[in-house]
Amino acid sequence: MEGEVNISDFSYPKLLKEIPSPPKKIYFKGNYCPEIFRNCLAVVGSRRMSIYGVKVIEKIFSVLSREISVVSGFMSGVDAESHKQAIRFGLKTIAVMPCGIDYIHPESQADLYENILKNKGLILSEFPGNFKPKTWTYPKRNRIVAGLSRAVLVIEASEKSGSLITARMANCYGREVFVVPGSIFSNLSKGKIQISNEFATNIDSGFYINSFFGFKTGDIKCESGREGKRSPGNNKILEILKNSPMTIDELSEYFSVDIPKLNAELTLLSVSGLVSESEGKFYACQS
Amino acid sequence: MLVKVNSIANRGIQTFGVDVEINVSSRGLPGLEIVGLPDKSVDESSDRVKTAFQNCGLKVPGRKVMINLAPADVHKEGSFYDLPIAVGLICVILNVKVPDKALFFGELSFDGSLRHTKGSFLLALYAKESGYDKVFVPAQCVKEASSVKGISVYGVDTLDSIIKHLMGQKPISPFLDTAPLESSQDFDKFQGDDNLDMSEIIGQEYAKRALEICAAGGHNLIMVGPPGSGKTMMAKALVSVLPELNDEESIEVTKIYSLVGKIPPDCGLFKKRPFRSPHHTISYAGMIGGGNIPMPGEITLAHRGVLFMDEFSEFTRSVLESLRQPLESGKITISRSRYSVDFPSKFMLVASSNPCPCGHYGDPRKECTCSERKIRSYQAKLSGPILDRIDLHVNVMPVDRNKLFNGSFGEKETSKDILNRVLKAREIQIKRLGNENIFFNCEMSNSQVEKYCKLKEDSKRLLIQATERFGLSARTHFKLMKVARTIADIDGADNIDVNHIAEAVQYRSKIFL
Repeated sequence: MEGEVNISDFSYPKLLKEIPSPPKKIYFKGNYCPEIFRNCLAVVGSRRMSIYGVKVIEKIFSVLSREISVVSGFMSGVDAESHKQAIRFGLKTIAVMPCGIDYIHPESQADLYENILKNKGLILSEFPGNFKPKTWTYPKRNRIVAGLSRAVLVIEASEKSGSLITARMANCYGREVFVVPGSIFSNLSKGKIQISNEFATNIDSGFYINSFFGFKTGDIKCESGREGKRSPGNNKILEILKNSPMTIDELSEYFSVDIPKLNAELTLLSVSGLVSESEGKFYACQS
Repeated sequence: MLVKVNSIANRGIQTFGVDVEINVSSRGLPGLEIVGLPDKSVDESSDRVKTAFQNCGLKVPGRKVMINLAPADVHKEGSFYDLPIAVGLICVILNVKVPDKALFFGELSFDGSLRHTKGSFLLALYAKESGYDKVFVPAQCVKEASSVKGISVYGVDTLDSIIKHLMGQKPISPFLDTAPLESSQDFDKFQGDDNLDMSEIIGQEYAKRALEICAAGGHNLIMVGPPGSGKTMMAKALVSVLPELNDEESIEVTKIYSLVGKIPPDCGLFKKRPFRSPHHTISYAGMIGGGNIPMPGEITLAHRGVLFMDEFSEFTRSVLESLRQPLESGKITISRSRYSVDFPSKFMLVASSNPCPCGHYGDPRKECTCSERKIRSYQAKLSGPILDRIDLHVNVMPVDRNKLFNGSFGEKETSKDILNRVLKAREIQIKRLGNENIFFNCEMSNSQVEKYCKLKEDSKRLLIQATERFGLSARTHFKLMKVARTIADIDGADNIDVNHIAEAVQYRSKIFL
């Protein structure tokens, strides 16, 4: 489904209308329906994401109620990962583009674009056609992300980042801002410390978000099922990787297993989707 | 009066015979002239010969001397026609016979001595193939030429000694090799070997295992990691676990080095595998070979050895792309309008690269400062076709500082231990692939992979799963099977089983974004 909605239209998202300068017209592609706007959670963060960020998104999304829609900005990094994981865990997702509705930016994420549309997601933009992204369109996009959502979740943010702008906007609009704690050694934690000192709420689980949206944690039936699925029981490697990502050499030393054996084991684990590799480190996937 | 002396000419590593015809005529203005498409270095031969003759108290006849290099339609280059021309003139002046079935080769110095001249190995090989039984070369080249068995090599040190030989006054005796040629110590010095042992590398067990697999099967390798993680060091240590060249390979390599004149005086056959590490500013022609008369480039100099490309992503794109064909086919064809030459280039590519422009992407010690777009464009240079042709992809992480300082050298495996395993694996491969005329697993064609890398049901299933999950190409699929075959060979296993495939898959790790 494709089309455009005017601010005067009945189907225009109500929350978005409340912000100081709502877009007069929004263009969309995909599943435009009132339900998708009912419980929106914006997920924002850095374009350069660490493994920690991936794990945070996995952990939090794995328990979110399926009534919640994940709104994000379709950039690489946290945005893209949020859309991906939302699709993976059966959540609805809305991508707000900084460019024309028909323009895919960044190009490398054309697959994700298709995937969102295929999985009953929605692509939104206030710009028509093939309008290219400009530096000023990003903050404009951010106000829609914040405006659509009842709450914003900040995954990772450095000191001067667009994610902080979105979080501050959301705070001004009177929306809730959640933030996930991070390592004090990482640059990507600096921004999070700032906002949590000012207004944001620290969380470490998706249950907080569920209860904010009014879903009882007990209500979410699927969650225990999701958690237990495909868990291999007592795989030692998997257990240790759940705590912290490690390189092959570190694992080999930890378990005093020789490399050939470990290599084989890790391949079997990654082929069955239990571990993944990034930047030379292996980490356990939430399943 | 006309005499004929035999010599050679080279085109690429192809050698063919050249008749040096010398005619002293009773008519015409006095002078010495060379015809038969000589280049400048051949043309100047006449001046060198004349001066050397004067300095040795000989007189070039005051007549018209014409020298023809036949066949006359092929370009000749090189300084080695000095000796054949001089010998021809001596025979005319002194009225003696040119020795039968003999080839002459060497550059003259003004004082009448003979200089070390490149290409004597090619000469000796040609002599043997074409039924010549004597070759006359400069004394310094004797060892190089005599590494070809079955011909007599005469070392000529001065013009004087060759005159005495031709006149029968004091014949030069053919060189008898007393010292066994196995001693290639001179070469080690020449190759600038650091003699790094594997046990000197602390940690990095994963990468070391990859090096072992590479050495055993001749596979290509790329290492990606932040600066200071030991990539260059490991590449250098690779040499210490490579087996020596076998006889056939040794001849191939020595031919190339003889052609470019990189065999130092008094050195014989190459026994050690060449290790080339060109700088990243190298030109396209420097890498694959080129020139008006095509000369081998780095990829050919690394034939049967290692081509180490440090800072892989800093090489220009044209240089990187030019590696594609030689990586697949093991040779490079350099075409010129008149002709084309083939150079062999079966090298093991070992590449190393940083993951991003600042080098610290994924580095646990230091935060990366590059923007995502910068990283992508940096990595895009290596993506696709060229990475696809590299068998093993390895992430190298820096070693913990504490470990570096407390590292004990004693308990580690030494290069010798690893080399023993490598040798065993290579033996198995030669036994298996002997009939196919190849030496290593990496050289197998796809049909040979089908034939020698039979997989059981469970291994096949795993391979298909991995191919799907990691989105691997068909070429990668075959490469994985070859690597798995090598791993099985190191294990001494006849069949490839699940563990071998599984380990092979680990070396296709995601090295980039």
